[in-house]
Amino acid sequence: MIWFTTVGLLGLLALSLPVGIVLFLLSVGLDVFFSPFPLMRGLGQVVWSSSNSATLIAIPFFVLLGEVLVRSNVAQRTYAALNTWVSWLPGGLTHANIATATMFSATSGSSVATAATVATVAMPQAEKLGYDQRLFSGAIAAGGTLGIMIPPSINLIVYGFLTETSIPQLFLAGLLPGLLLALLFMAVTVLICMIRPELGGPTARSTWGEKLASLKDLVPIFGLFLVVVGSIYAGLATPTEAAAVGVGIAFLIAGMQRALSLSMLREALLGTIRTTAMIMLVVIGAYVLNFVLTAAGVSRALTNLLNGLGFEALGMLLVIVLIYIVLGFFIETLSLMVATIPIVVPIIEQLGYDKVWFGILMILLVEMALITPPVGLNLYVVHSARRGGSFSDVMVGAIPYVLAMLVMAGALIAVPQIALLLPSIL
Amino acid sequence: ETLSVVGSWSGLPLHKNYEQPFWTEKLPAAAGDLDVSLTTHDQMGIGGGDVFRMLGDGVFDVGMTVADYAVADTPALEGLDVPMLADDADQAKKLVDAARPLVDDIYKDVFNAKVLGVAPYPPQVVFCNAEIGSLEDLKGKKVRASGRMTAKLLDALGAEGVNVSFGEVPGALQKGVVDCAVTGAGSGYSAGWWEVSTHLLPIPLGGWDPVVIAMNMDKWNSLSPELQQTVQTGVDQDLVAPAWTAAQGALETDIACLTGNGECPVGDAHEMTLVEPAEGDVATVREALTGTVLPDWSERVGAEWTARWNDTVGAAAGLTIE
Amino acid sequence: MIQPAPVPAAASDPAPAGRTVLLLRRINTGVALSAGALLMLTVAVTLYDVVARRLGGSLGGTDEISGYAMAIATAWGLSYALTELVHVRIDLIRARLTAGPRALMDLLSILTIAGVAMLVAVQGWGVLAKTFAHDARANTPLETPLWIPQILWWTGWLWFALSASILSLVALVAVARRDPEAVAAAAGIDEGAETAELPLHGEDDHRDDSGADRGTGQ
Ligand code: NA
Ligand code: NA
Repeated sequence: MIWFTTVGLLGLLALSLPVGIVLFLLSVGLDVFFSPFPLMRGLGQVVWSSSNSATLIAIPFFVLLGEVLVRSNVAQRTYAALNTWVSWLPGGLTHANIATATMFSATSGSSVATAATVATVAMPQAEKLGYDQRLFSGAIAAGGTLGIMIPPSINLIVYGFLTETSIPQLFLAGLLPGLLLALLFMAVTVLICMIRPELGGPTARSTWGEKLASLKDLVPIFGLFLVVVGSIYAGLATPTEAAAVGVGIAFLIAGMQRALSLSMLREALLGTIRTTAMIMLVVIGAYVLNFVLTAAGVSRALTNLLNGLGFEALGMLLVIVLIYIVLGFFIETLSLMVATIPIVVPIIEQLGYDKVWFGILMILLVEMALITPPVGLNLYVVHSARRGGSFSDVMVGAIPYVLAMLVMAGALIAVPQIALLLPSIL
Repeated sequence: ETLSVVGSWSGLPLHKNYEQPFWTEKLPAAAGDLDVSLTTHDQMGIGGGDVFRMLGDGVFDVGMTVADYAVADTPALEGLDVPMLADDADQAKKLVDAARPLVDDIYKDVFNAKVLGVAPYPPQVVFCNAEIGSLEDLKGKKVRASGRMTAKLLDALGAEGVNVSFGEVPGALQKGVVDCAVTGAGSGYSAGWWEVSTHLLPIPLGGWDPVVIAMNMDKWNSLSPELQQTVQTGVDQDLVAPAWTAAQGALETDIACLTGNGECPVGDAHEMTLVEPAEGDVATVREALTGTVLPDWSERVGAEWTARWNDTVGAAAGLTIE
Repeated sequence: MIQPAPVPAAASDPAPAGRTVLLLRRINTGVALSAGALLMLTVAVTLYDVVARRLGGSLGGTDEISGYAMAIATAWGLSYALTELVHVRIDLIRARLTAGPRALMDLLSILTIAGVAMLVAVQGWGVLAKTFAHDARANTPLETPLWIPQILWWTGWLWFALSASILSLVALVAVARRDPEAVAAAAGIDEGAETAELPLHGEDDHRDDSGADRGTGQ
């Protein structure tokens, strides 16, 4: 059954069938060949229940927020302002990608939304200034993944929901690792550009006057951040509601920039629906596949596998990390979490690990899944913001950042305090 | 013979302590040649309300989930779990037994399923992050309730029902988005709700959340009479009975663990303030039930179900819907 | 294997296929705008509830409504993403193929989309039929009759199935006419440019540019 799934997945994906559709087709195949039960009779119910979700609505909300910021030029100005601060480094604007992604991560709960926002703004700069497209787009795809590590985060909400873990604690725990990861991305970029300077494009130096003058362009995004995160911490809104608050503020900012118009609204809504539907077909397909796999007993096999290993705590943890890396190649991130959490988290708890800490480790692995092919939504989002070029450019460009994430995972395991420090003192 | 079984919440004691050993060990041992595959609705990623719909279609053979999740398809089922009618497990069991003929008919007609038994979750009590001294104090408070009848009861008591999805409840309690929330004492303990709330009102405002164990009717009819007998006896003796026995003890233990009043054998005890039910509370609730909540329900389900409820559950609880 | 049709021939022959795709694209833009409007409404209701709760007058039921809005907006958005050619496809192999085999892949892709969409539409009807039969109402204080959100959700999938079927026919005809450009317009992959600019008959030179990029990139 596992072979059927793996080979089927690779084969159908290689045929260039839509990823979401491949997940449905595999489900049908598993039902026909491996289950004595008419599982497909449950298909309609699974599709309805998985999309009838007040938690998932945060996705279109955050995407809309990003669309409004891009279309009111706020995103572009934020990017330019950050550029004056970071582009003296080897790697130049590539750092601005990571820095901008980090900033947006603090207002957006979705990695895809973060990557989409930054890519739309940044990719034209790469072409204008003659950067290496691979490293440049890889940095955006990787930087975008910070969206689910730095709070707010849709995935942390889902984790908290499924494991009954405090969501405010999870949000606090994600902050420090998220910032460290951003720094690590920048360090990797510097390293690469010191070895191969031609990849980093021209470095630009800004005067302190220019730097200070640019600060005013950071005000709107800073205000947005304060309101969204503040509304959660002040008890005015739940994290999902905060996404709606963010949309409201984004429209307010757009209005203040005199960027609001019917055509702008039209484009923003179309972009939102386009991205949402693209993501949701994969998400729904992944729910269906998970339903069929579970009903056909694959989860039982996974549980037995893990329980049968009889490893010590650390060995078990490393096996689990390995499983996430491998599954992360093929399975969409939210479904990867939903499908595995009920199996893995009880084991993790039994081993004596902290649930909040493991949530952060899992988010890190899930971030990695976002930029590993073949199923890596961020790669696609960034690719779709380019005009032409090969998809493999983005894929190759993301590899150094995948390695950086592996280093970060090692650090999290060796020093759990990276995640647990803030929740314990605040 | 193979049996595909979908259990209730994978993380809760009912599944871990009773469903899992029964379906995967005791029943196969008793039935001889029986291959059981067990999963839960949360692991399958399907909603609680989907379980019995799918069961009726034969997507799996046995489904177990909270009756309250299925009331979307059949409001008559709400009569199985009327809040605040039972103070202890014995009383709750008496009411469930009284309701069994109704439940059997509902499952046969609506879900094409044979009811094998009804097991309890511990009662759904009230966690507040605000100073309360009695039920009376819920008036004007923002309270998160799951389930329609509990929400209506809160409404009748003058509280403000707030909609917050389950996963966001701890954050909402902590930040004051809601003042109080209703859940099982045990789940509240293991999910760390004591971290974000101060007062515990240990009355079953959310009812007892009975879990219905049912088998697809076609599957049931296809079993040999001997196997039917084995399954039914097993469910009665090895699944339902021990779950009921544990229910009452569980509430006392959970309250002790949450408030520090007494022995907590499962972990650290915490220091929530235990709010003793006040003298008038029961009378207040009964008045709200008979005055508003139950007549409203009666209107939704019609005269026939009202009469049947009056004769069974109503008689056992000493209540009549006019 | 089909040979790629000569581009000039395709360009000088404005096939009805192109018009069908354009029309469908226009309709789906309208559909997507309605779905977007529904999202905006949900934002507004949520914001209202956040404020009203502070003032002691919560609507109740906003997350129930959000869930319905999500299901409905997603279902109707699927066909927009379809005509915009943005449903994620892995083009590692496809990008290395010539126009002919690529057209066959596109045809297979749209056929499987149509098949899956129909399967969901058929099975989705079962959900709605049960809801009608039980007169199901949400287990919430709102007691929403579930057929209302579910019929809006189900018709979205039905429309997705219909859109994909129409595009399948267009792609089939185009393959039969050995017109890979037309296949790509109906069922290809959005190459990253605004889809509105995508050529339907190969007369737009932007497409040629990106093709050239691809060629030099490998
Ligand atoms: Na974030
Ligand atoms: Na991946």
